[in-house]
Amino acid sequence: MTAVIETEGLGKRYRRLWALSDCTLSIPAGFVVGLVGPNGAGKTTLLNLATGMLAPTAGTIEVLGGRPAAGPAQLARVGYLAQHAPVYAGLSVADHLRLGAHLNPGWDAETARSRIERLDLSLGQKAGTLSGGQCAQLALTLAVAKRPEVLILDEPVSSLDPLARREFLQDLMEAVAEDGLSVVLSSHLISDLERVCDYLIVLVASRVLVAGPVEELLATHHLLSGPRRDPATLPAGQHVISASHTDRQTTLLVRTSDEILDPAWTAAEVGLEDLVLAYMNQAAGRGRHNHHLEVRT
Amino acid sequence: MIWLTWRQSHLKAASAAVVLAAFAVLLAVTGPHLASLYAGSKIGSCQGSDCGGPADDFLQQLYGSSLSGASSVDGTGTYWLLYLLGIVIILMAPAVIGIFWGAPLIAGELEAGTHYLAWNQSITRTRWLAVKLTLTGLAAMGVTETLSLMQAWWATPISRAVGRGGCCSPIAMNQFSPLVFATHGITPLGYAVFAFALGVTAGVLVRRAVPAMALTLAVFAVLQVVMPLWVRPHLFPPDHTITTLSSFAAINVPIERGTLTVIPDGFDSQPEGWVLSSGAVNTSGKPVSAVPAACMQVMQSGKASHPALLDCLDSHGIGIAVTYQPASRYWAFQWTETAIYVAFALALVGYCFWRIRRRLS
Repeated sequence: MTAVIETEGLGKRYRRLWALSDCTLSIPAGFVVGLVGPNGAGKTTLLNLATGMLAPTAGTIEVLGGRPAAGPAQLARVGYLAQHAPVYAGLSVADHLRLGAHLNPGWDAETARSRIERLDLSLGQKAGTLSGGQCAQLALTLAVAKRPEVLILDEPVSSLDPLARREFLQDLMEAVAEDGLSVVLSSHLISDLERVCDYLIVLVASRVLVAGPVEELLATHHLLSGPRRDPATLPAGQHVISASHTDRQTTLLVRTSDEILDPAWTAAEVGLEDLVLAYMNQAAGRGRHNHHLEVRT
Repeated sequence: MIWLTWRQSHLKAASAAVVLAAFAVLLAVTGPHLASLYAGSKIGSCQGSDCGGPADDFLQQLYGSSLSGASSVDGTGTYWLLYLLGIVIILMAPAVIGIFWGAPLIAGELEAGTHYLAWNQSITRTRWLAVKLTLTGLAAMGVTETLSLMQAWWATPISRAVGRGGCCSPIAMNQFSPLVFATHGITPLGYAVFAFALGVTAGVLVRRAVPAMALTLAVFAVLQVVMPLWVRPHLFPPDHTITTLSSFAAINVPIERGTLTVIPDGFDSQPEGWVLSSGAVNTSGKPVSAVPAACMQVMQSGKASHPALLDCLDSHGIGIAVTYQPASRYWAFQWTETAIYVAFALALVGYCFWRIRRRLS
């Protein structure tokens, strides 16, 4: 089966600043992929590259085996809910549905209408008067009713209150379950994604730090605690993501596909949130280090 | 896409329709009376050089006072205001279209982020842009040219009177004068399509509607001044001729300073031609600025009339060198200028397509 998104050395530069660099990914189909990272990490850039809103500066990207936005057929296979869920303020809800029907040969009018009814949006209302959550729902309806093979959502819940977040994600998962489509959604909060994702990509400071199915990530990361010890003395194949020390004790988050054999360690499972935070901290530490070096040279 | 373009612009279309209708009503109400005034003058039945007088009278009447001294009591003096109003509306139409239709067309979407919605439907950006530009661009050309044709129909008596040699009132503008040339024929089409493309391009470049509108107005206004003053006269090499003083309807000879000044208007042998420059010359073709002493004496004797002075100058071999564009080139000028503007517009549109396909997010 072709990958949903396949990138090779992908990079995007704005003037002199790399928003995304050296990104190599292969996301298999059928997952709900969470793209997580702090603000400004390059999440939106990656998703805009995947939908053809941007052209890459370096490397290649293929979505469902095709070049993003290459033609009407490719556009029909990808649904995109952009950041801030843009809708035409002057057009009514009904106009938006008509827009979708006119511009998408695969338009599913039944799905669109039943979603709007269920969400209690009135057809005659101008989109400019909708709340943030209602705009997101309307934009999601457009993206779902065109019947794409992959649905890409950029920070879909960032403007919603906690209750609306939960409802939106629940609703999204129902739509996904019905159609069996692949989903890629981004957020700067892992808590938004934890409940819905089964594949995770951590993107920090324009680089992909880790990517893989959630189950696999949890199985290969271990929280080790034991007597104080230099992390450099660990066996090969155990990569330290984070380390903290007290006078007598050392706690490490390590990634390894091997079993932990050293009896000195007490191994514990790690939660998804802790795992992501450890990667983000690691990147932040490296960033500070680099900065320090630059100042000295 | 056609539906969406219509849905997004039907308010603009409605306001254009209101302007067209109001203009049509104004012209339809006043047009027949203007035509009857023309029919009542003797311009229709005169021959050759006899037409100058009746034509002058008719135009003066429209300006508010006839040469015979009778002031207008029936409001005929307001016709020149209507004439000017029509010209101003046609001149402004392309600029208004560029500012209010062109500039926000893409910039509005980029500003609101709705291009993310539009460009992720199952339709390419190229097609999206092509439909938007074609429909709105055709409407822009249609509106402007309709205004121009309505005004041309209404002003037929005026342009005929000017063509028969009518002169000397502000309304007597010949077909090459900047205000008339730019509002009749096919040039309004060129301006409309260019101003529209300029607005769209400014919007694509600046990405915000209001600055794009200002930029559109500034560039278009500058071009509309540069074109008639410095470019249009040189589109074709002008003709040169040396003619007698009496070929000019108006020659000014200030007596005190004794200098010859020729007003480049009302060139009798080319009433519909375009006089670019003119000046007094002697028999060998050299420019002359001083009135010969003998003719000064004719003037200072006090008895001499203006024609006597002209006869004197004539007998001293002084003529007028005229640089002009003959009336027969009118359509060549119209087509050339329109083609220049259309070519500019196509270049701008081509840039927009390239930019939107390749560069924008």
